Amino acid sequence: MIWFQLQSLIGSYPLALRGLGMTIALSVISLALGTLIGFTIGVLRTSGNRLVSTVIGVWVDLIRGTPFLVQIFLIFFILPEFGVELDAFTAGIIALTNLAACFICEIVAAGIRSVPTGQVEAALASGLSQWQRMRQVVLPQAMRVSLPPLVGQYVLLIKDSSVVSAIGLTDLTRVGWLVVQRVPNGLLVFAIVGIGYFVVCYPLILLARRLERRMSAAHGEVQL
Amino acid sequence: MIEFRGVNKWFGALHVLKDITLSVEPREVVVVCGPSGSGKSTLIRCINGLETIKDGNLVVDGQRIGDRATNMTELRTEIGFVFQSFNLYPHKTALENVTLAPIHVRKISRREAEEAGREMLAKVGLAEKFSAYPAELSGGQQQRVAIARCLCMRPKIMLFDEPTSALDPEMISEVLDVMVGVAEEGMTMMVVTHEMGFARKVAQRIVFMDAGAIVETGTPEEFFSDPKTDRSRAFLSKILRH
Repeated sequence: MIWFQLQSLIGSYPLALRGLGMTIALSVISLALGTLIGFTIGVLRTSGNRLVSTVIGVWVDLIRGTPFLVQIFLIFFILPEFGVELDAFTAGIIALTNLAACFICEIVAAGIRSVPTGQVEAALASGLSQWQRMRQVVLPQAMRVSLPPLVGQYVLLIKDSSVVSAIGLTDLTRVGWLVVQRVPNGLLVFAIVGIGYFVVCYPLILLARRLERRMSAAHGEVQL
Repeated sequence: MIEFRGVNKWFGALHVLKDITLSVEPREVVVVCGPSGSGKSTLIRCINGLETIKDGNLVVDGQRIGDRATNMTELRTEIGFVFQSFNLYPHKTALENVTLAPIHVRKISRREAEEAGREMLAKVGLAEKFSAYPAELSGGQQQRVAIARCLCMRPKIMLFDEPTSALDPEMISEVLDVMVGVAEEGMTMMVVTHEMGFARKVAQRIVFMDAGAIVETGTPEEFFSDPKTDRSRAFLSKILRH
């Protein structure tokens, strides 16, 4: 029985690969964009402009405080009501990027706040501009604190990408749903789906652990 | 070079600088002393804008601090500031610490900056430590790197905020020796310190502060042999007792 099901599962491998490809594509694109935006708003959040900081803070809290599924539905089903038509892939990328940016913003901001004020004062006193202070003095030291939780957050976000199957994107999770209709062994099918995610996430988990261990050895700047 | 005229500053309700009037000439070395909490550090932190003043006039190198026309970032390149806690960049080597601002602010080439940086580090006695990270250096060595970092910018003014207070006693003299060298080369200096030996040796003037106000100023000889106020006498008897 199991043997028969396995054989029929093997026949689904092109679909599974497509799903894995979709999950990886969604993750890579949204994490890259999310990191870029997250760093930018993380720096802005701590830059001292109260209005900008408050606006970012409210948005970040809003996104962190609502379920991701709800955010996806809002983007995919509500935005068209206002004339913004999005295909499922774009909607998924937007939702995931936004989520990633908000979490990464908080991690980066926390890292920046952990840099002693004396460092900023020394940079200020030597005449470095605001951007130079950030780039040369603050960010390298903030990264030391931020990098391990950042990589850990990547793992969480890759797993969150499974939620986009709800708007019909054929990612790894949705492939599971499709296959299980043909091969009625949920345990087996979703175990394989789980392994698919694990294979993508485990290297990152190892990287996060390695970074954390290297913190104490490094001189304030972490090299990968 | 530095001129305070009727400068006042408050931290909330606390009046930390009271009607400060003080003028420092080019090439002059002024030592500021007084009990802790008397406003000494705040006084010199105002000069490069690490603190803002509430009212009065503070003119540094011909430019009024707090004026819209004054470019603080530019003015700061002319003012070296040595911190009590060194504040070296922990992720950069000694040489990278001293070349950062020359390369990025003065825009001189990396090669030139490194050459000048090595020379300056050698001058403060750290020729062997170019590639050491701050964590690998003793407190005294770190503070000497911090002084070299300022000098590499070729500043017109050097400010020292209790540069030896965070050091173990045996490291104090190596830092003071470097500071004496800087003073003897004709640098305009304001030094907040309790090192009265240093004051006696290089200061033209001593400023004694208490409770946010300048209580007494005078040459080291006058100040040490004949303090004019009760408060300066009490202060001197405390720090010179041992």
